[in-house]
Amino acid sequence: MSACFTLRSKMMHRVLRCAFQLPGPSVIRLQPMCVAVGEHNPPCGTLETTEEYVFVERLIPPTRVPVPPRHDGPAPSGWAPPSDVPPSLPYMVRRSRMHNIPVYTDISHGNRRTTVVRRVEGDIWALDGAVRELLKRLTGTDRPTQVNEVTMSIRIKGHYDKEIKEWLMQKGF
Amino acid sequence: MLRISVMACSRGVAKRFMSSMSGESSLPSNLRLPSNLVDPSRTKRPPPPADSSLPIIRTCDSSVPTHLSPLLTWVESLAAQQGDPVGLAQLHPDVFAVPSRLDILHQVEVWQRSYKRISYANTKVRSEVRGGGRKPWRQKGSGRARVGSIRSPLWRGGGVSHGPRGPTSYYYMLPMKVRVMGLKVALSSKLAQDYLYVVESLDLPTPDPLYILDLLRQRHWGQSLLIVDACDELPENLLQATANLKTVNVIPAIGLNVHSMLKHEAVVLTLAAVRFLESKLLWHDERYTPLYPFKMPYSDLP
Repeated sequence: MSACFTLRSKMMHRVLRCAFQLPGPSVIRLQPMCVAVGEHNPPCGTLETTEEYVFVERLIPPTRVPVPPRHDGPAPSGWAPPSDVPPSLPYMVRRSRMHNIPVYTDISHGNRRTTVVRRVEGDIWALDGAVRELLKRLTGTDRPTQVNEVTMSIRIKGHYDKEIKEWLMQKGF
Repeated sequence: MLRISVMACSRGVAKRFMSSMSGESSLPSNLRLPSNLVDPSRTKRPPPPADSSLPIIRTCDSSVPTHLSPLLTWVESLAAQQGDPVGLAQLHPDVFAVPSRLDILHQVEVWQRSYKRISYANTKVRSEVRGGGRKPWRQKGSGRARVGSIRSPLWRGGGVSHGPRGPTSYYYMLPMKVRVMGLKVALSSKLAQDYLYVVESLDLPTPDPLYILDLLRQRHWGQSLLIVDACDELPENLLQATANLKTVNVIPAIGLNVHSMLKHEAVVLTLAAVRFLESKLLWHDERYTPLYPFKMPYSDLP
């Protein structure tokens, strides 16, 4: 459709306007794709214009996730942006494409609860040690963890997503 | 050319050998090394130092994350066979310094080989083999084994019971993000192994294929070369020179794929190709899931 409208040149549009001199709103006529340029014979009493195509173009959605606006501190929902200066730790946890902390819960077999921390970069074993310490402090028990060095993720037994998300956000990741 | 880890008989090389295999003596005295031995650590140019004097010709268009820094590579020129680099180029770390996921490379390579495969092998089942409708002899009393048809799979000339059946397609699609990750891992691996070269333009002085082969040999780029450009028309000299060469191939940047990168030892990208690849590959890191297929118009496709 867009190809049809771009084919109509501004010259032809002006010529048509002068030829037919119609008052009232201009009309867009939708042509089928098989009409070639040059065989253009609009019936009497119609006007063709391309200026209204702006309204179609602004409906076409974007593909990229927008960068969130500048926040000083946490938003009302609890979301907080990552700190501008990355924390000086041997590991780094990047945000997801929707700018959230990449900690997810998983359940298999109906009763096997795990928490996954994805998108880790740097020294993953240091992060593993820090997470184990945190959970030892919070729960009093040693939670088993599994470090996957290929996918750079840590899987923890039990649902601890809220605690780990808060802790990572407070660290500035 | 022979490349092995045991280098030529020189003192520096012997020291390197000793450091890698500690506890053992230096090279044995009756070791015979071939004369065409090549030491890769001495032939390839080391990566540019931070305080290099050459100008940075190309900076990254997209923003680099704060905890990472752009990579620097030499920008070379193909005008002279033994030329020096012309400048430096910045490469985005999320495309050219991705952790090496060999499992993803394997997946993408296997997918590239098999998604186009249609196997035409076909055999006839006992019902399809000509004949075999009548029962050869009566069920009981003849003394021979009981038989229902002469085309049973037990018989010579009979049908195949579990053979290949008709054209089978091995088509499947890996997720888009896995294929994109495969390209990023391949580019990062090539850069990490010093097999990726950035060139400012592909203008050759002659359309002679030997010029390119000599260039490869002198600069020790490798046995085979894949040249990637992102423009409407490739230079005539390059097309003529590579037309009959099997080891040097030119592809447009949209045609870049993991199989070609693994097949050719060295990969040469122009600055336009680097910009094209970075914009296309980085878009996948920040895009929404598609509302409708990406083949249809969106407002900001890369």
